[in-house]
Amino acid sequence: MRNTILWSLLGLVALLMLPWALPFVLPANEAAFWTANILGRALVFGIIAMSLTFLATYGGFISLAQMMVAGIAGYTLAILVDGAVPHILGGFGYGAAIPLGLLAATLMGLLVGAISVRTRDIYLLMITLALAMGVFRFIETNIAWFNGYEGIRNVVGPTLFGQDFRNPLVFYHIALATAVLLYAGILYLVRTPFGLVLQGIRDNPRRVAALGYSVGLHRIAAFGVAGFIAGCGGILSTIYNIGISPGSIGLGATVNVLIMSVIGGLGHPVGAFIGSLIYTVFDTFAATIYDRDRFNTLIGVVFLAIVLVSPDGAIGIGARLRRLLARRP
Amino acid sequence: MTQPALRLAGVSRRFGALQAVRDVSFDVMPGERRAVLGPNGAGKTTLFNTICGDYPPTAGSIALFGEDITGLRPHRRTRMGIGRTYQTSLLFNGLTVLDNLFIAVRGLRPNRFSFLRPARGDAGLAKARELAERMRLSHLLGTEVLNLSHGQRRQLEVGMALAGDPRLLMLDEPAAGLSPGDRPELLRLLRELPRTLTLVLIEHDMDIALPAADIVTVMKDGEVVVEATPDRIAQDPVVQAIYLGGGH
Repeated sequence: MRNTILWSLLGLVALLMLPWALPFVLPANEAAFWTANILGRALVFGIIAMSLTFLATYGGFISLAQMMVAGIAGYTLAILVDGAVPHILGGFGYGAAIPLGLLAATLMGLLVGAISVRTRDIYLLMITLALAMGVFRFIETNIAWFNGYEGIRNVVGPTLFGQDFRNPLVFYHIALATAVLLYAGILYLVRTPFGLVLQGIRDNPRRVAALGYSVGLHRIAAFGVAGFIAGCGGILSTIYNIGISPGSIGLGATVNVLIMSVIGGLGHPVGAFIGSLIYTVFDTFAATIYDRDRFNTLIGVVFLAIVLVSPDGAIGIGARLRRLLARRP
Repeated sequence: MTQPALRLAGVSRRFGALQAVRDVSFDVMPGERRAVLGPNGAGKTTLFNTICGDYPPTAGSIALFGEDITGLRPHRRTRMGIGRTYQTSLLFNGLTVLDNLFIAVRGLRPNRFSFLRPARGDAGLAKARELAERMRLSHLLGTEVLNLSHGQRRQLEVGMALAGDPRLLMLDEPAAGLSPGDRPELLRLLRELPRTLTLVLIEHDMDIALPAADIVTVMKDGEVVVEATPDRIAQDPVVQAIYLGGGH
């Protein structure tokens, strides 16, 4: 236990220092590029994917609505905040618009949970996909509130202690802090009565009901928690991209979150970040490795390779290697 | 006169053309140990599930300590004081022994929906540890249920059924699949249960049912055929015909 805490703290310090360590191994311009375009982006994607792996790991639910829920937070921020283009509602600073965005995502998560409360497995997958695509189409075709397919631009983010939020170094550390807090929150939550019952529902919903619990209430609450996590990712993503458009919550984006989660591994929430890092690296360097237009082929091959070698994703590979090394004399 | 803990009056259950349970009536008095015996297909488990509320009877009524529970859903019956086990263990395999017991304890408390970790001195946690002790599972508190032996899983099942301090404990074939070595341990656990608890035990193994019971009800083809004390049951010609004369 003490060893785990020590290693976690060392890992956290290493991640905090990473942007300053990169120039020692990479040319200065490449190091800055890695901080902004790969590490920061991977953290944002990882947070959204973690909302999926939280539901999958502890509840046994695979939801395809998480990217849409993240988008709801992003759109709420863009609609409410002053300075966004086009001006839709405005009147709010970031200090108020960000919590309202998170609230909207949590409520959307609860709604998705309530609608899908009686479904499992493939039916849950299909109903959450249908909800995601329904909201996506609505947003894409609605001009008055969402500015249609063009989306909303100029969501530049707040300034913190005189520092621009979008400064790559600041953004990386805020995304990292958010990811760590959410991750720690999940680890806390799964040991609470709510978290234990959620895992009970994963293992045996009939017994959970027989013990006097409401299975539906716990399921809906779990989707609400996942909605909040996805919302954090949605807010960061909107500020990172200086705005939001329907493309960011379309079918491609929805499937990408699932691919990241499966590549990383659905057996533990941390798999989301490993998956998002692998995904982002290939997404960024597809042109260098093979051909920009062949990114889907490339990530497809990586996906197949990981799933074939280790059905439980990259974290499964790590566990297998550890077991293999432990067996050696 | 004392009110019966469980009263079945003309209980029947039909599945389409199959009459699984036919006009079963008996009273179980508080503190009594009642075994329901019978060959496979006698309707024991159907009767058991009807009492626990998995499906309502098609005719008749069920009363728990004088209160009619015929139409109540299973979790309502749990809250009214019925604890039960399942024929095949329904446990939470990914959780530890302590977590399984803790969930079972919290299920009947008002704070069952909570986003806060239990404090070190939490009453529910203390109760879960006490149950583990009673079930001889204290040394396995941190073990995932997936890694328990069949006998230990059975012990945990009984522990979870006791978590809500039930007034009536229903055990569905607790000895099913147990090795001969595990049976005396189970029997000892059953005998140690306090007399404040009423026990209904469904079993087709006489070696477990007879020593644990005060009164034995024998079923065949959905009907009660004999009701007697354990020492008389073994000699009963009808029971002998069922068990030795090709009743299966």
